[in-house]
Amino acid sequence: MSLRSEKELRHLVAENVISEDTSKAISDYYASQKKNSPNKLFTLFGVLGGLLIGLGVILILAHNWDDFSRGVKTIWAFAPLVVGQAFAGFALWKKKGPAWKETAAAFLFFAIGASISLVSQIYNIPGSMSSFLLTWILLAAPMVYLLRSHTATLLHLIFATAYACNVGYFNDASPWGYLVLLVWVLPLYYSQLKSHSEANITGIYHWAFGLSVIITLGAFVSGAANFGYVLYILLFGILYNLGKLPFFDHKKVRVNGYLVLGTLGMIYLLMVASFKWIWNERYFKTGDTIDLVFAGALVLITLGILFNLYRKRRLVPFNVFQYVSLLFVLIYAIGHFRTDISIILVNVLTLLLGVSAVRTGAQQGRYGMLNFGMLIITILIACRFFDTQISFVVRGLLFVGIGVGFFVANYLMYKKQIRLKNE
Amino acid sequence: MNKLVVIFGFLVMVGAQWFVPANMIYQQEGALVEGTPYKFKTRPVDPSDPFRGKYIVLNYELSSFAPVDSTLQFNEYVYVYIEEGEDGFAKATEVSPYPLDTEQDFVKAEYQYSYNQRVNFNLPFDRFYMEESKARPAEDAVRDVNRNRDSLSPVCYALVYVKEDVAVLENVFIGETSIQEFVEGLEE
Repeated sequence: MSLRSEKELRHLVAENVISEDTSKAISDYYASQKKNSPNKLFTLFGVLGGLLIGLGVILILAHNWDDFSRGVKTIWAFAPLVVGQAFAGFALWKKKGPAWKETAAAFLFFAIGASISLVSQIYNIPGSMSSFLLTWILLAAPMVYLLRSHTATLLHLIFATAYACNVGYFNDASPWGYLVLLVWVLPLYYSQLKSHSEANITGIYHWAFGLSVIITLGAFVSGAANFGYVLYILLFGILYNLGKLPFFDHKKVRVNGYLVLGTLGMIYLLMVASFKWIWNERYFKTGDTIDLVFAGALVLITLGILFNLYRKRRLVPFNVFQYVSLLFVLIYAIGHFRTDISIILVNVLTLLLGVSAVRTGAQQGRYGMLNFGMLIITILIACRFFDTQISFVVRGLLFVGIGVGFFVANYLMYKKQIRLKNE
Repeated sequence: MNKLVVIFGFLVMVGAQWFVPANMIYQQEGALVEGTPYKFKTRPVDPSDPFRGKYIVLNYELSSFAPVDSTLQFNEYVYVYIEEGEDGFAKATEVSPYPLDTEQDFVKAEYQYSYNQRVNFNLPFDRFYMEESKARPAEDAVRDVNRNRDSLSPVCYALVYVKEDVAVLENVFIGETSIQEFVEGLEE
């Protein structure tokens, strides 16, 4: 229990708000809680130490000590592996706490990499970066469940993402292996959601999974010009709607990575798509078969989540953010016939989002939401300055207007809250 | 989780983590000990790998073969059948999209393209890892050797051991000197 809380308790006892006994009961409760919770700081430093040592070993081995014979180098290839395995085995056998397991997992993860990279180095084994990464990830994958290690899980996710980028972006193939690697950690994520939904690490998982799929989606598709916008906005729409599921909806914004990533992604893409040059016919293509398959799958997932939300009566009150991705697909389809109409519709849709955020913010008394809406409108107007022929005077007036709007909206809300408080 | 399952799983994982590098070593050692050495003329350049360190990329003079039966369909790989030529360096005698029923040594190379009955390919052993301070001077040295080339200047070549479908790049030489010693000589 913190010093400040103890001071508060003494104050409450002195003011006769709570009795001496209650104060003691509260102190005892917090003391027992502290005893049960593992030392998080210790775990964190252990993991950091493990990561740094592991990475250091890889770099030292990468120097390539060509004075040593093949035999000596081979021993060095296995030494970090043995140390890591011994640590992990000891932690498992003695049923050590998370600090041990996480540290061992962090070190063993990099020891595996060090071992196979040194063998590749000794024998000049060619092998591409992607096959090297895949071997490494697969050899480390069992740690996720055996050690029940969050470090191993996050490293698995990070390296799987790096693998997908290497295959998809640098080598122009589809990284299907990534999907398998992703599915491998899903059961752990699910059990984490079930039993430790409020833990900090679960919040980190939401962000990590969200970021990983955002980064890798582009690696699967052909990158045929404009169709990428459709795929990405569908993905952001899915993330947003996931964040709106009852399970996530009541959570703090910083924990609800899906909602934040989805919102920011959608707004960013709409801003980009609100420019005229994006809709140039030269870049306007439907995409390859794989792109269409992905688009179809993403639409189905969107509809599935929306249906789920509908059944749980989560679609009222109407929230336009939840339908942005589907509306954008429609706008994109219209663009095949009339790009000018699509451009107008994208601008209208973005404006609508801004207004709706302002409205929600005002109704629910949330300053953050209100100003987020205002920000969307401001950025949209600022963007229009680059590709429309409006006189400087009008642009100036628009900016003054929006500035006044910021003040007025915040002031009105402040007044409203004061009024509500007084009632 | 059941403790027995965890222990069993852990042992399997540890086994796999040993097996993969050990198997890599076993295959490569097999070729080094029992394989036939060949010399391939080469021109190296130096890039870097974040995990495995500095290496030089080797481009081989042996990168195509003609004539090839134009009815043959090549996909991902080319089986390049080799023998030692009169000048002491490896030369291709035949290429095929699939392994042939012969005792002759071959290298499984990456297929590039075909043109006018000539098949172009990349030999697989194109990376030679070097101590980090030596990779760049090695590249420079080899470029100089190749620029001032006449019949008396030393040839840069890779010594490769071949056994079945495993080919291990053992060392790179400039004339009779290994490339490490060559670079160390330059430093002195």
